[in-house]
Amino acid sequence: MYEPEEEAQVAPELLGEIDQEDAWAVVTAFFSNKGLVRQQLDSFNEFINTTVQEIVDESSEIVVRPQSQHNPLDEGEEPEDKRVVIRFGQIYLSRPTMTEADGETVVLFPKEARLRNLTYAAPLYVDVTKTTISAATEDLGEPEQAETEEYSKIFVGEVPIMLRSDYCSLYDKTEKQLSILGECPYDQGGYFVVNGSEKVLIAQERMANNHVYVFKKAQATYSHIAECRSVLENSTRNTSTMSVKMLSRAGAKGSTGQCIRCTLPYIRSDIPILIVFRALGFVTDKDVLEHIVYSLDDKEMMEALRPSIEEAFPIQTQEVALDWIGKRGSTVGVTKEKRIQYAREILQREMLPHVTVAEHAFEPKKAYFFGYMIHRLLLVALGRRGEDDRDHYANKRLDLGGPLLANLFRMLFRKLARDARGYVQRCVDKGRDVNLPAGINKDTITKGLRYSLATGNWGMMGTPGLRAGVSQVLNRLTYVSTLSHLRRINSPIGREGKLAKPRQLHNSQWGMICPAETPEGQACGLVKNLALMSYISVGCPSSPVLTFLEEWTTETLEEISASVIPKATKIFVNGIWVGVHRDPQMLVRTLRQMRRQVDISTEVGVVHDLQLQELRLYTDYGRCSRPLFIVKDKQLSIKKHHILKLQTSEESDFSWNELIRAGMVEYVDTEEEETTMIAMSVKDLHTAAEDDTSSIQTYTHCEIHPSMILGVCASIIPFPDHNQSPRNTYQSAMGKQAMGMYLTNYQVRMDTQAYILYYPQKPLVSTRAMEHLHFRELPAGHNAIVAIACYSGYNQEDSVMMNQSSIDRGFFRSIFFRSYRAEEKKMGSLVSEHIEKPERGSTAGMRHGTYDKLDDDGIVPPGTRVSGEDVIIGKTVPLPEEVPGQAQRFTKRDVSTSLRNSEAGMVDQVLVTTNAEGQMFVKMRVRSIRVPQVGDKFASRHGQKGTIGITYTQEDMPWTADGIVPDLIINPHAIPSRMTIGHLVEALMSKVAAQLGKEGDATPFIDLSYQKISDMLHQCGYQQRGWETMYNGHTGRQLKAQIFLNPTYYQRLKHMVDDKIHSRGRGPVQILTRQPVEGRAREGGLRFGEMERDCIISHGCASFLKERLFEVSDAYRVHVCEKCGTIAVANLKKNQFHCTACKSSTSIVQVYIPYACKLLFQELMAMAINPCMQV
Amino acid sequence: MSSRAAPKRTPQVSVRKIEPDFCEFVLSDTDPSVANALRRVMLSEVPTLAIDLVEIEVNTTVLNDEFIAHRLGLIPLVSQRVWDFTGAYDTNDDDENALMDIVFQMDVKCTGDDTLDVTSNDLQLDPSFPDIHPVAYSTGPQDAQAEKGVLLVKLRKGQHLKLKAIARKGIGKDHAKWQPVATVAFQYMPDIRINHALMDTLSEEQKLQWIQSSPNPVFRLNPVTAQVEVVDAEAYRYDGEVIAKAKALGKEGLVNITPRQDMFIFRVEGTGAMATQQIVVAAIDVLLRKLDTLQQSLASADAAMDMDGL
Repeated sequence: MYEPEEEAQVAPELLGEIDQEDAWAVVTAFFSNKGLVRQQLDSFNEFINTTVQEIVDESSEIVVRPQSQHNPLDEGEEPEDKRVVIRFGQIYLSRPTMTEADGETVVLFPKEARLRNLTYAAPLYVDVTKTTISAATEDLGEPEQAETEEYSKIFVGEVPIMLRSDYCSLYDKTEKQLSILGECPYDQGGYFVVNGSEKVLIAQERMANNHVYVFKKAQATYSHIAECRSVLENSTRNTSTMSVKMLSRAGAKGSTGQCIRCTLPYIRSDIPILIVFRALGFVTDKDVLEHIVYSLDDKEMMEALRPSIEEAFPIQTQEVALDWIGKRGSTVGVTKEKRIQYAREILQREMLPHVTVAEHAFEPKKAYFFGYMIHRLLLVALGRRGEDDRDHYANKRLDLGGPLLANLFRMLFRKLARDARGYVQRCVDKGRDVNLPAGINKDTITKGLRYSLATGNWGMMGTPGLRAGVSQVLNRLTYVSTLSHLRRINSPIGREGKLAKPRQLHNSQWGMICPAETPEGQACGLVKNLALMSYISVGCPSSPVLTFLEEWTTETLEEISASVIPKATKIFVNGIWVGVHRDPQMLVRTLRQMRRQVDISTEVGVVHDLQLQELRLYTDYGRCSRPLFIVKDKQLSIKKHHILKLQTSEESDFSWNELIRAGMVEYVDTEEEETTMIAMSVKDLHTAAEDDTSSIQTYTHCEIHPSMILGVCASIIPFPDHNQSPRNTYQSAMGKQAMGMYLTNYQVRMDTQAYILYYPQKPLVSTRAMEHLHFRELPAGHNAIVAIACYSGYNQEDSVMMNQSSIDRGFFRSIFFRSYRAEEKKMGSLVSEHIEKPERGSTAGMRHGTYDKLDDDGIVPPGTRVSGEDVIIGKTVPLPEEVPGQAQRFTKRDVSTSLRNSEAGMVDQVLVTTNAEGQMFVKMRVRSIRVPQVGDKFASRHGQKGTIGITYTQEDMPWTADGIVPDLIINPHAIPSRMTIGHLVEALMSKVAAQLGKEGDATPFIDLSYQKISDMLHQCGYQQRGWETMYNGHTGRQLKAQIFLNPTYYQRLKHMVDDKIHSRGRGPVQILTRQPVEGRAREGGLRFGEMERDCIISHGCASFLKERLFEVSDAYRVHVCEKCGTIAVANLKKNQFHCTACKSSTSIVQVYIPYACKLLFQELMAMAINPCMQV
Repeated sequence: MSSRAAPKRTPQVSVRKIEPDFCEFVLSDTDPSVANALRRVMLSEVPTLAIDLVEIEVNTTVLNDEFIAHRLGLIPLVSQRVWDFTGAYDTNDDDENALMDIVFQMDVKCTGDDTLDVTSNDLQLDPSFPDIHPVAYSTGPQDAQAEKGVLLVKLRKGQHLKLKAIARKGIGKDHAKWQPVATVAFQYMPDIRINHALMDTLSEEQKLQWIQSSPNPVFRLNPVTAQVEVVDAEAYRYDGEVIAKAKALGKEGLVNITPRQDMFIFRVEGTGAMATQQIVVAAIDVLLRKLDTLQQSLASADAAMDMDGL
């Protein structure tokens, strides 16, 4: 650990202040310690290390007594009086393993799990003790006898393991070891492998529990409402919401003003607050007022309570009040005692359960909290405070993988315990021995967890309240998209909701959530991404904080009289009012000091709210926080020599954790942030320190670097601070579609789709954050020489012209991989599918593609060229014998896999293995080379996308006197309205960087002047603004205008014409309607929609329209009886026509109607409606 | 227009510099159209040899077959003998003796623990054409001095690459690998006239400022005469910086620069497939043949018209 004594030995010049450049050493320390998916790993580790055991401990012991069964044969025999007690104990989690079909258990590595479609999961064992207690038999004088049986390590199920977590086989492996295991050293983990596919748990945003929120209501009935969504820690019980409402108009006759009422759980109507107080045993008005107003000098507030007091005048005792509440509950026709008991239980258990659910002495605590809620309501009602902000990020919590799995595991474990109980009960009832391991269903947890992770439906199968889309398939398009996916947040608010507020960027999201990266359209602002340095708390026990508070003279609510409250500061821990303190300044100082020394967890949030006279402490999980430099006496605690030690961290062992421990950096959560003064830069701090007249003298913290407010995708953008903000959002979305190298181990992976760029280049101009995103190691683009020019007009409307010669030389050439899979499925116990080369003679339903490319084993060998509809994996399924003993024409049916009809390529790699059931399992990867062509999509890093409009060979391209020819020509009209100045600055800096052989620094929010870049360019012998005189390639004439010709980093996006091109003459139709099918993959038709129809009508081309919509679609010939108008029976071969409705065979006519229309008529007829066609 | 009335001219070439991969010459007394035609032909119509067809027997490298084939194609081959060959698309079936294919072989396997570089030097030449080889080709022991060849792929222990590569004649229009040049550019000779009278109104400091405003060293201040003079007119890239500077100094018309329409400085950068001067000559040859063809077809068209009409 860092020792403060060392300071004495440090040279004085190193005790100096740091500058902004030094802050990067701290950033580097942060990322080398935390990586980029720390939140996922931390939360999963917390789940495995503590939560699982807690959940198992939570489940109370199972006590089973034999229940008398009705047995008419031997009546009267008393069941044995014994009981069986089952207790779950210690849990054990092994390393991830898999059991082969032959029963052999082997250690599983992620690569194998991915390739063989297995689940990367570890077996969970638990110790169980079974105690059989025979009751004391009095007549024999025997005492109670207990017989204990210990079952150690009973297998209870498999828990999927997050990659690179503490329990993963890859934990703590070196880069070399990882490569040997077939893993990419740059892969960060943080996801699961379920049935071979990689799944991410998306963080789910929710409102924080146990907070009191006060809102103004526009509604007619209530003017104000105070809410508290109360949840007892670690319970599956749903939130119990309590709200206190202030009526907007004077209530019943005789009342003088706005009454305040509240809702209680399970109570149908609103209860006047005074009745609740009386039911809690605070009968006198003074008692009640003390709990609400605290200081009886506050006449205004007391006056506001007058109507409420008057309203509850008839109810003056606790009994009456309880009865009054009880009557409004779900009790009907029971005695008064029962009602009172019921009401008391509601107050004890259901009202504000987070305060306490203790059976005794719960009243004062609940009364204080209830009073506090009313107090807050009145503060807003009296206009002393504004209403609370629902969208403030302090009021939000993020449920990451850990908590999500914990909730699921809790449900599943309860079910397991319940089932076990049922089994024991049955055994005991029947007098059998209890064989406990048999009663524990291993599938409950294994399948339950796997189901939710595989489908994304969070919750137990078949139960209501399933949340969809929690688990998603990890995006592997490019490395950045993977990282960004692992840091995504979803707010499960209805996408349809028109309310704009929850979608808007909120001030309190600064530093926690990326301001640029969000999708466009329906999910805009609801799906967010974490900023680079944000840290999500995993939760820590509140007991150390409570002990500390006790030691530091906090007075509990029981000890004090209400009159003390106005003079003291209220202390809340996780929303629970634990007491008051009279010297909050000292307390806060000590708490912060202790947190900085890690005497209490660094996660603890300390919020001293001076306005409300509150000290709120938080230890719960899911809070967003971020590290900041600590400022003491206008100076950073971190000094130059610390930076030096960080830079030589390998020798000095001085890293991020030491920074935290030494109190130079601390995590500040969103709520605490509101009570701090944060300097934007080290420079600001220096200015404030030097200048006593400066208005800012109270800095408490300093930003590490403002560019850290951005997320993964936005950190790729050079100079984002020079762009119009939506452009950064567009680029954040596009960066995820860029091709590059998504992982270094792509050759040993079998992703369903993968794109790899032939020659990825690192950008000439990059940001500091890219270093930690490994963008230089796994880049996704080329440094193209880009001219911004109008040249022959083939780059209009966001198209680009590309140099064909550059393309020939490998510019943006890429590989597309698609993997196919097939397995021999078992059909029943005997029959199984078989991978083989199907023979025409014995196989029914063969495809029309060629089977010639199949080898004898039924698989196309690597290196074979395959194209549309070729059969690549031959597979048959045996047909059941129709007539036993008789020879059949076909004994098998073809279920082969053929190549997608619109694709072609070479077979790259074939994997033949077995799956978890031991069945043969084949994966085949087909590769195709994608050379840029007209219609392919490209984009710069500034939301400037375009498709190729034409490719020109080198001689047709404009050139400069130096012989430089652009790779790409974009249109100047793409710039002014979009205001992507960053694009131009990037280009300018790229030219300087290329000339000097250096990388340009495009980090946002650093001091930069265009003139500086221009001057450097001038010194390099170029026109200072990046312009060049060019010559027309076709004519050889000098172009009139100078052209902005510079290198710019461009990305190739995955949208390519070859994957989109589609046309159809004739083709497949739907079975039901006989209209053409939809979609390119099915060779479907192109929809001639409403607007196209309108267009043709306005042209007056009625016959053409009929052709498009009818003849070319689903024309169908029917015969109709002229007399009754129903469809007649027609036998065209025999030329016989007959109407079944009117029994006539004359006057039957032939008409053409849409088949869909015929279908409608028949469906109507099925409903006993007879549609007639008047012909 | 004056050019139409211009007297008959004979284009002149004066060669300034010839290096193996670079040459610079001045083409004068002709029009931009001629200069550009020469440039375009050099880029796209001077034939060279390049690997066009690759038959891969074994490939256990990290790069796939297409990747290696593409890289092989881009290796410049010494194409002095290109004229002896016939392109794959120009063959007549009757010409059986036409030379078409040059067959290279390659068989490299890595047996050591270190990574092995496969370069163009690993190509085994066609015994019938020992003089056709990749640029910078050298066999035998690789010492530090010898040219390393063009890197194709790196092999790890146990990886094996065996292939047959067939080189053919082709032109840059079909694929950039057949381009004999990396780039060809010409520039109009600038005609720079300094208005010395106006220049004298500038102070020495202003003159220096003005000189420095040009990104390239075009002008200099003569230390003896304190006069601004042109040092290197060709360094001028028509960037207009000096003109803008003159305007900013309030001395519009300080200098008058016009591109000469009859004098072009050519710069040819070769790939090594052919010597640069050969490329230029070949380009002129191709141009002449084009004109020949045009003349012939015109003649036959005339003949046809004579038959029809008169």
